[in-house]
Amino acid sequence: MRTPLRIAYVLDPRFPGGTSSAVAAELKVAARFGRITVHAVEGSMFRGRTVAPALETAFDDLGIEPVWDAPVISADLVILHNPAFLKFERQFGARIFCRDLIAVTHENFERPGGVEGFDAAKCLALIDRATLALRKHVAPVSAANRRTLAGWFARQGAPAGWQVLPDDWFNICAFETLPPTATPADRRGRHSRAGFEKFPSLEIMDRCFPAHAGANVILGADGLIAQRLARPHWTLLPFGAKSVEEYFGMIDFMVYFTSPAWRESFGRVLAEAMAAGKVVISDPATAESFGGGVIGAAPDEVDAIVARHVAEPKLYRAQVARGQAAMARFSAEAFAAMFGAVADRAGGRAAA
Amino acid sequence: MILIEAGERTDQGFEAKVHFAAQLSARGHPAVIDDTTLPETLERGGRYEAAPYLRDLTGARIDRLIVVAAEAVAEPVLIRLRQIDFAPEAPVTVIGRFPERQSRISAQSKIAYATGREPQVIDLAALAPAALPGSTGLSAAAPLPDQAAGQVPNLILLLTADALAEPGTLATLLALDHLPSLRLHVVLPGRARDHLKALPFAPARILGLADLAPAALAQLADVAVVAGEGAPSDRLAAIATDVIAGGRTLIDCTMDAAFAGTNAPVLRGPQHLAALPNYLSHTVLPNRAEIARRVAESSWAGLLRIETLETMIGLTAPVAPEPAGTGRILFLPTNGNGLGHARRAMLVVREMPKEREIAFAAFPSCIPMLSAAGYDCLPLVSKSRVHGVEHANDLVNFMRLRRALREGDRLVFDGGYVFDSIHRTILEKRLEATWIRRGLWQAGQITPSALHREGTFAQVIVPEEAFPELNTDLSFGRHIRKVGPIVGDRPAHDAATTRAKLAERLGREFRELVVTMLGGGVAADRTAQMQLLSALCERRKGCLHLTLIWPGSTVPPALYGWKNTLVCQTRNAPDYAAAADLVVTAAGYNSFHEVLYHRLPAIFVPQMAGFMDDQDRRARAASDRGLAVTVAAEELLLLEREVTAFLDGGKGAELRSALAAVDLPKCGNKAAADLVAAEDWR
Repeated sequence: MRTPLRIAYVLDPRFPGGTSSAVAAELKVAARFGRITVHAVEGSMFRGRTVAPALETAFDDLGIEPVWDAPVISADLVILHNPAFLKFERQFGARIFCRDLIAVTHENFERPGGVEGFDAAKCLALIDRATLALRKHVAPVSAANRRTLAGWFARQGAPAGWQVLPDDWFNICAFETLPPTATPADRRGRHSRAGFEKFPSLEIMDRCFPAHAGANVILGADGLIAQRLARPHWTLLPFGAKSVEEYFGMIDFMVYFTSPAWRESFGRVLAEAMAAGKVVISDPATAESFGGGVIGAAPDEVDAIVARHVAEPKLYRAQVARGQAAMARFSAEAFAAMFGAVADRAGGRAAA
Repeated sequence: MILIEAGERTDQGFEAKVHFAAQLSARGHPAVIDDTTLPETLERGGRYEAAPYLRDLTGARIDRLIVVAAEAVAEPVLIRLRQIDFAPEAPVTVIGRFPERQSRISAQSKIAYATGREPQVIDLAALAPAALPGSTGLSAAAPLPDQAAGQVPNLILLLTADALAEPGTLATLLALDHLPSLRLHVVLPGRARDHLKALPFAPARILGLADLAPAALAQLADVAVVAGEGAPSDRLAAIATDVIAGGRTLIDCTMDAAFAGTNAPVLRGPQHLAALPNYLSHTVLPNRAEIARRVAESSWAGLLRIETLETMIGLTAPVAPEPAGTGRILFLPTNGNGLGHARRAMLVVREMPKEREIAFAAFPSCIPMLSAAGYDCLPLVSKSRVHGVEHANDLVNFMRLRRALREGDRLVFDGGYVFDSIHRTILEKRLEATWIRRGLWQAGQITPSALHREGTFAQVIVPEEAFPELNTDLSFGRHIRKVGPIVGDRPAHDAATTRAKLAERLGREFRELVVTMLGGGVAADRTAQMQLLSALCERRKGCLHLTLIWPGSTVPPALYGWKNTLVCQTRNAPDYAAAADLVVTAAGYNSFHEVLYHRLPAIFVPQMAGFMDDQDRRARAASDRGLAVTVAAEELLLLEREVTAFLDGGKGAELRSALAAVDLPKCGNKAAADLVAAEDWR
């Protein structure tokens, strides 16, 4: 009988937002392939925050008791989520012994324009110094994220001893799928965390959420609220002020542009909207990750796109269908297939 | 317009941006600070320092953004940046001393997200790795100007508050203050400054650390000494850096060699201040030239000049610094309680050589008089209860003076209290300044704190009182220049002519003329006295009672009901007074001396207030000599008796005789004008 693969997850479980949900879903898939341990590391990046609820639930469901700040982490396969959590650290507190180490890069190594996104060299070096492994990989979460790694490697030099995993370590998007509305209206919205990187300039916001729209609902608008803007036609809601379900009930179009100086590495919020049966519009680069599921456009084109889909509900329904079809690529099963291949390689090596 | 922002909304952050804005501004760049970021708790000195750069950004278009002290970038800063209207191509620069790569990346990212444009990042830790401790690394705006040859070098002694508490420090300060080879300026944190000023014995020149911008303090220093314990503040480090960058001598007397412990070109001085006078006299001063040479030759890695930053930021070649002044002399009379200071200043100006370029800066009450006399006048703002803060008017005046004056211009201040605006402008613009300060003060007013700004002036002209016992020496030294009383001319017309013209203008004949000059009620309410005088004159047939006030002043409306009393707003009060049978007047400097020198029969009703000169003593000096009568404000019965004695009892004639016979000192108008017109005020 083959010894179950020992899989160790290393992460800061206080990571906020959708990434925690994705990791929670991933743990359930990974549990099919071996014995899971979770090593919780307290980085200073999320100081003061508590364990993300999605992860807490997953730990409970899987009967996993996370090990906090273990001095030694040993497994066949170690999956370290989001190496960027080490960017403010002076050292990585544990020693890792494994055959394969995979660092899943949830943050882009570069921002648009080839600007360094975070001190990736330091983060990888900290991990490298703490690790004794046969192979070390970085695993991008999307094609777009992969491109930022390639750009960073080209500009900063590829870190010695690290390889880029050929498979995208995508977010599992296990959202409940809802049908599109039969009578779409010009009801627009966007949701995200409140960070400045998530929002474009006010000028673009004005173009995307005009006074003539039937509704403009902005969830996660803490920064806009603080600016005390005079936009009576905007419904500004702080992050967490409404459940995502309530919010989706208020809109038919998700219009999502970010600061031009930043880009989503995966775009989980877009997937969430597609699953909720909404037409999603974003910049072409962000839209690319979802095939035709997200309409790539410039802010100037948003009005026309919305008008067309309102005028032609059939078109609206077709677009939602395209989006929901595109999400099949990010299902738990698709992830299991990808993970299985990785686990097989690691398991094979472990057996050998 | 270049907006200077700091990474955090802290006092330290605000200070950093004011410092940098000042440096860029001195280089001719239009640096501004968002006025919404002014900390409410900012102390008074900081407000003056920031005022020149504060702007209301409503509707303003920003052409460039520079974020300094960006080691940490806080959310309120980012929120504000989102609200600001940047020009489409406005470049953004982030400057910080980043302890690690990630903090630099974080600062860059945050600013990029907030502004929507990628900033250039300048890491001072890489550019000037060995900066003085506490320094933001932003350094000298420009090479400091050379001290004029032959002048006594300025010693700036920067002390921490605890150094003042050390036994022996005060004695050392006083010893240094009397070194003829140095001109001591003691610089202390605000509270310690106030404490030192309040002592009965203190050095002549005391400044708060925030009383002047770091660059202005540095440029004042030929030799700077830092003493005390504890880590130096950013401000202290900025001053020290500027001093070194300017090729001046910096001496570190701190207990733990905070500056000398670096490789900066700094002298290690004695930790015990008692040794400082000898160290300066025998080690530093004889070797200043050699020290300066070595400082200039040093290749200190901590020094980063503003010119370097300017180039890195991509600012275009600096506009030529502010051109030197033309040597214009700006007279600034305070408004006091009347127009006395302005009138005295005018009398001095009138004696000045015609070729000198002269202008006035004056408060609203004085402007009509000065304008009518043909002088250019920069309007100043008076204090008002409706202003948000007590010194709001002085902040505006500082801004106006700062714009109006340039290095090379001169300032003549006539007044009692040297306002912050005047003090700062003199020091920041390196102006030569003269203080015209009358000598008669009330007992208790003569304190070091009343005089602590005297050292800012090259000379103090003291117009003396007519009687020697009234002349009080408040301070001593070669800079004190005494002149005779400054007195207005006798009227051009004789009394008969003036009376005839008056009768013709008024269309009424009068036999006797009483002139009252008791003011417009600002310093003291004289309604009762004026009513009494009006009632007395009403009873007298052929009596004309002129109540003279300055244009714009007011008197109680009831005075207008009397038939023999006429309220007259005039600038020719001396003409009418000279034609009067009796003058009833306060005993301010000008009117008192005009009464004496114009030999007028007068009753003095002194005005006394804590902030005024000692009018009672002045009036009684004349009445004790039988040259006038003094009636206290509350002595209404005596006032009635004396008026009757003057008009019916021949007292007026007696006083005229006594006045005709008295020998008064020579007027000082010309002497004061000569002192002001002199090329060398020192």
